[in-house]
Amino acid sequence: MNIHPSPELVIDDAPARRLNRAQLAGIALLGVIGLFALFGPWLVGIDPARQQLERFLENPSLAHPLGFDQLGRDMLARLAHGARLSLTLAGLSVLSAAIPGTLLGLLAAWRGGWPERVLAAFADAVLALPGLLLVLLLSAFTPGGFWPLYVGISLALWVEYFRVVRAASRILLASPHVEAARLLGFGPLHIVRRHLMPELLPRLSTLMRFGFAGAVLAMSALGFVGVGLQPPTPELGVMMIELLPYYGEAPWLIGAPVLLLFLTLFGLLLLAPEREAA
Amino acid sequence: MNGRTTMPALAVENLAVLHGERALVRDISFTIAAGGVLTLLGESGSGKSLLAQAIMGSLPATLRCEGRVAIGGEATGAAAQSSRHAGWGRRLALLPQEPWLALDPTMRVRDQVAETYALVKRSPWRGARDLAARALASLGLRDAAHKYPFMLSGGMAQRVAFLATHAAGAPLMIIDEPTKGLDADRRGEVLELLRAAQSEGMSLLCITHDIWLARALGGQLAVMLDGAMIEQGEAAQVLAAPQQDYTRRLLAADPGSWPARRETAPAPEGGAIVQVDGLTKSFGRQRLFSDVSSRIAAGEIVAVSGPSGSGKTTFGNIVLGVAKPDSGRVQRAPGLAPTAFQKIQQDPGAAFAPRIRLRQSLRDLVQLHGLDWAQLEALLTRMRLAPALLDRLPHQVSGGELQRIALARVLLMQPALIFADEPTSRLDPVTQQDVFALVLEHVRSRGSALLLVTHDADIVRSVANRRIALGSGAPAE
Repeated sequence: MNIHPSPELVIDDAPARRLNRAQLAGIALLGVIGLFALFGPWLVGIDPARQQLERFLENPSLAHPLGFDQLGRDMLARLAHGARLSLTLAGLSVLSAAIPGTLLGLLAAWRGGWPERVLAAFADAVLALPGLLLVLLLSAFTPGGFWPLYVGISLALWVEYFRVVRAASRILLASPHVEAARLLGFGPLHIVRRHLMPELLPRLSTLMRFGFAGAVLAMSALGFVGVGLQPPTPELGVMMIELLPYYGEAPWLIGAPVLLLFLTLFGLLLLAPEREAA
Repeated sequence: MNGRTTMPALAVENLAVLHGERALVRDISFTIAAGGVLTLLGESGSGKSLLAQAIMGSLPATLRCEGRVAIGGEATGAAAQSSRHAGWGRRLALLPQEPWLALDPTMRVRDQVAETYALVKRSPWRGARDLAARALASLGLRDAAHKYPFMLSGGMAQRVAFLATHAAGAPLMIIDEPTKGLDADRRGEVLELLRAAQSEGMSLLCITHDIWLARALGGQLAVMLDGAMIEQGEAAQVLAAPQQDYTRRLLAADPGSWPARRETAPAPEGGAIVQVDGLTKSFGRQRLFSDVSSRIAAGEIVAVSGPSGSGKTTFGNIVLGVAKPDSGRVQRAPGLAPTAFQKIQQDPGAAFAPRIRLRQSLRDLVQLHGLDWAQLEALLTRMRLAPALLDRLPHQVSGGELQRIALARVLLMQPALIFADEPTSRLDPVTQQDVFALVLEHVRSRGSALLLVTHDADIVRSVANRRIALGSGAPAE
């Protein structure tokens, strides 16, 4: 997000460039989760796959704050590894959808003509195929792998970015300020940087936030139907499915990945600018 | 509510609009008799629209107001804004600026008018449609009943908006800048509409910077400056013998009273900068212009005239090379830089990247062409622009200032030709005269040619060397 400090304005009704309280809370929340995902596995220092069958479903203690799961694996270690994997995968798939989607959208809006028609037709074709189906299709080739998930989710998601960027850019490119910039001799890079991106970024960040949430949920859903990452991989969705049967005995076990996912999505929603949150 | 005929339609006492402790509008008191007209004249930023919003009770939440407002004899504290909401449509109505933007683009015209009858006046729906159809017919809009707003001309949209706001029979209407951006024919239509409303016994509060309209409407006239009312009286009297210095300046700035071009020198005989031959352009089946040929020489001021929709802007864009003609060709003089043709846009607010500070935009330009920032600063100083303005975003700067910055930006490029597309139609008269004076001064001192599109015949008469007339198919020149 844009946290670059802007000089304080002394004009009335200057747009509030500073972040509001909700956004600060969102950044703090995501920061904590990010740190946990990044350094958690190393801090906990326990192999998430190591089983101590005699300690299965052991209650939380100081040494093991989340206790042990049904196979006697340290829950905190698994949660930390799961967070790292899930969030990385979601972040990567969002970025790898957003970047090409945006670039292609800009290209289509800028060039018009046949490149635009070809790209738009391709996007429509991808859109006609439900995203989950696409991922299922890819996973069928290499079951249980990381790559088909990643490629599949990105492939399903890039179309949104393409369409949003293309539609908005076409309007912007026809606007008087872009015309003025062209007459003044500015090239495409400048126009994209100063005229298009400032308008597109808020929309892209909304899409990315929802896309991130969608990617995490899609992975959990795929894990649930058994095509995503497979146990014993510590992934949040897989963990939820594994731990669901033990809800009665040890609710904190399934509670931990659910809460982590909830807090992540909540943090992302808090980042929304005020006028968008209404 | 008896004796309403003797009650003033609107009485405002000591109204003030405050932002924090700063008064944006202060000490406003006036009354409009039933059936009367008050025209509020003033430049943009003088607080006219804020005053209207305060009366309506629709000020932005960051502003508050003080004083008293009495509508049809029913007095309320100005601060109790919501107490006046119940009267919207029934007791007072607002015809917004640029009403074509205020109509619902997805609804047919008749339904939009019927909606007011049904929802505000509480007529049954079936009856409401008939009433709407009849009302439309009465203003000559029978054929438009089933059209969507985008299919209407500006004047027609204004009449539809008028009907939609007036349908519930509000006896008092506030009209915000009804002639903004309209050409002479359309302005006549607006005047007729307002006169018709008046003859039905409606009271009008008309906010405008159009002196022509103020003169034509008659009634009372008040002049606003910096949030205060500096002069008030019979329109004819104020216009004939203004008491205040500012009012005199305002009236003198009306293009109608500009001196005719004192062109004793013959049209400058520089070399041709651009030559156009047999330009033809159509949009769909509508032929805009055909076979227009002309030669524009250095230092010339050429006006492009014609009714709205005759393709004046398109013609200019073709000369600039931004648009392509259907046939014909445009030949630039050899040796001109690609950036030698520049444009001043109608709406300066739309001419700058909206989220980039002006200083950044201009610095980019200086960097791109290796220009001298000091030269730009000198230009801005000559245009009486404070350097601090550049630290704002485009929408935080007034239209007049922004248009001057746009002019400075264009002049910095040392253009051979400037295409000015209605450069002042959104500006108030004083600012308009200012901007024009600057444009002309710079164009003359640098020998650039100026291609001017304006709907204002007075401006053409006053500044242009010659004109290119575009019209329905008639070959020009």
